Amino acid sequence: MKLRGGKPLMNKKHIHHKVLILLLAQALSATVVDSPLFANERVTAIRGGDLYTITDGIIKNGTILIEGGKISDIGQKIGIPKDANVIDAGGKIVMPGLVAVSAEAGVIGYPNIEKIADSLDPFDFSVSLALASGITTAMVSAGRPSGSNPVGGTTAVIKTSYGDLDQMLVKESVVQPVMISNSEWLRKTTFKQNLRKAQDYLRELAEYQRSEDKKKSEEPKKPGGLDEYIRLLKREVPALISASTANDILADLELVDQFDIRMILTDAVEAWIVAEEIAKRDVRVIITPRQKVRPNEDLSAPSGSNLEIGAILRKAGVKFAIIPPSTSFETWGVVGRDLMALPMEAAFAVSGGLDEQTALEAITITAAEIIGVADRVGSLQVGKDADIIILDGHPFHHKTFVDTTLINGKVLYEKSKSIYFAHITHDK
Amino acid sequence: MRNICCYVLLSILTCGSLKAEGFGDGRYAGNHPQAALEAATEAIAIKADRIDTVTSGVIENGIIVITDGRIKAIGNDIEIPDVAEVIDVPDKTIFPGIVNPSSRIGLSLPPTGGPASNPHYRVVDELYPHQDQYKRILGAGFTTMGLLPGDRGTMSYYSGYGYFFGGRSPIPGITGQGAVIRPTGNNPEEMIVAESGFIMIYFQANDKVKKVIKSALDSAKNKANSDDPKVQPLVEALEGRIPTFVVCNLPGEMLHLFELLEPYDKMKPVLIAGIETHLVAEELAKRKIPVILPARIDFKRNTRTRINVPRLLDEVGVKIALKPESNSVRGHEDFLMQVAELVKSGLNRQVAKKAITVNPAEMLAIGYRLGSLDVGKDANLLILTGDPLDVGTKIDKVMIEGKIVYEAPWGQATDE
Repeated sequence: MKLRGGKPLMNKKHIHHKVLILLLAQALSATVVDSPLFANERVTAIRGGDLYTITDGIIKNGTILIEGGKISDIGQKIGIPKDANVIDAGGKIVMPGLVAVSAEAGVIGYPNIEKIADSLDPFDFSVSLALASGITTAMVSAGRPSGSNPVGGTTAVIKTSYGDLDQMLVKESVVQPVMISNSEWLRKTTFKQNLRKAQDYLRELAEYQRSEDKKKSEEPKKPGGLDEYIRLLKREVPALISASTANDILADLELVDQFDIRMILTDAVEAWIVAEEIAKRDVRVIITPRQKVRPNEDLSAPSGSNLEIGAILRKAGVKFAIIPPSTSFETWGVVGRDLMALPMEAAFAVSGGLDEQTALEAITITAAEIIGVADRVGSLQVGKDADIIILDGHPFHHKTFVDTTLINGKVLYEKSKSIYFAHITHDK
Repeated sequence: MRNICCYVLLSILTCGSLKAEGFGDGRYAGNHPQAALEAATEAIAIKADRIDTVTSGVIENGIIVITDGRIKAIGNDIEIPDVAEVIDVPDKTIFPGIVNPSSRIGLSLPPTGGPASNPHYRVVDELYPHQDQYKRILGAGFTTMGLLPGDRGTMSYYSGYGYFFGGRSPIPGITGQGAVIRPTGNNPEEMIVAESGFIMIYFQANDKVKKVIKSALDSAKNKANSDDPKVQPLVEALEGRIPTFVVCNLPGEMLHLFELLEPYDKMKPVLIAGIETHLVAEELAKRKIPVILPARIDFKRNTRTRINVPRLLDEVGVKIALKPESNSVRGHEDFLMQVAELVKSGLNRQVAKKAITVNPAEMLAIGYRLGSLDVGKDANLLILTGDPLDVGTKIDKVMIEGKIVYEAPWGQATDE
């Protein structure tokens, strides 16, 4: 079995963070007495709600304890410490913060940036809207492949920690955007040729490292401009490829067979037609159930979109995430087509026959797994980051509002204080 | 033929005499500042209804005695020297000349391009003294200007489609040495107060700009002096001998800026802010970074909820200076009215007065010689028909270093 979800990389980075945090805490304890770090040490308890854990079913009238920004306990019969900061979620639904596998938020839009960490904007208006929409983790990107170059641009996973730059970056360079398609033969040729070059180099390097007498042979020189390809071949990052037709999807799957790379297919409108083929290669898919594409009448095989795409992929065993047609946060235009209505998009998959559990997974744990952060977010489990949302109704109900949003155990959004939503109430 | 000659002769003579009169009484001094500068006498005494010193309270029925262009004495019971020319304005208010700490007025659009470090570049080298704009802003009460070596202009507003700026985007990075000038004079030398008044950084939160700024600053770090014209100005800035003006438009970018400037602890940064600066008010207060803001009521993003950012910054203890919203003459002419609007919606009146005089002077590191009406300071002052922040108030005369450089063209300004 091949590696999944980029976990090995993650762990290494994670350890660094932990060491840093420990050092920082030590330094602070020596100097500052009432630092915010210590305010966090107080236990937070969310009680009374129905806990949609995603990974372990629904816990009715349960309690979550949060310590040091992480979930420290979860269940029905849990004692709440006396001095705990208690959030009452009675009659409400508590679930992990939603994960958007693609979002335009939190990055200042300077062109040609190579490091997203240097351009994060915790005061971005979209970040505040993300909190109100229940989205606590998102993959953002900067730049894209240009000219005949099939690879380019960079990605990062961020938290929508409004106002807090230090908490924002989870992981940089999580997937490699690749732009190839049927209509762009030059890019595909370049992509395959470069993969072969990188493959040759890795083979020579492996031979050199295996050879007993390293002095006799010379270490092979790393060819320039192939870093992205080497990372793909080492399966450090998956390739993110836009492929909407079955034809394109099958052609991309061939690359998995040839080069054994990890792959995420996005805009995969016709994925339902080749679901079995996708499942065989363990390729992940990002879908938009509401998207409508007319069948191509010139083709003998099936084509076009299908509202049942979610249900069909699920049946074939394909792991998929759901995003709406627009990955921005908008206060204008047509309501419901952007990330402010992410659960609505998942609800459309349900209306096409998908079970609710898988639909919820597609905007939480599966989405987190696809962008390589499932070890930290995406479910209510002990040890995970306390990124939690409290809803005033079922996540798929159109009347439902996000009541409270927490990131790393800290309340960052309350509907009652929102200048946009506080005044909207329903008779339930 | 003879008649025509006579007419020509007569008209030349008439013109000449009119011109001479114009110079003599200083009436047209606003148009010919140099003539006025030469005509000044050694001692002047101003007797006024109110003298608003800004730093030391208001003096009713006060007297200011000026010698050699500086304030020699100020108060109620002051002896007026016998030789002094007395300006008796019993119905007027005296207020310090306005200081605009960051402007591009009279300068051309900056060049555009990728990030670069040009600390050797000096804005004084692009001065064009004979510009009508300078004469006109004198009439709006501006006696001191900080000129920026390259500026994007102030971010003016936000819409769903992105940020909008005035002017065009110059080269980010270290843009050069800013100057302090008086907007009067026939050549750059007469205008310049400080030719290398401050270093300017145009900051953007992205990897390339950060790298350019950091490597330039590091090249000057831990050096007492340098022979390199690209390094020495940065040494001055890093040692805190001159201030560093940093343009930074978004509050999110300011968090990146704080991190970037962390290692340079002696540097004296002054922030030229864009929009929503109140979101980092506490951080600015904690770091004691003074802020230059446009005199404008803003909207909360994507709402019609108004916010008074200067007020919010002042309330947490951030030192603020206000500047006109644009680099145009009109922007300068409307300035006092816009400051008055800020006061109307809650900005402390006294703070507002400081924010257009002594605070910007201190940010430009010339607070020791101008910005308020105190003994020893330059006699840069306005003779007004009332309080500077009352919208009906008119500017009657403007004085720079003891010389009247502007007089309202309608003569005695009245309330009509």
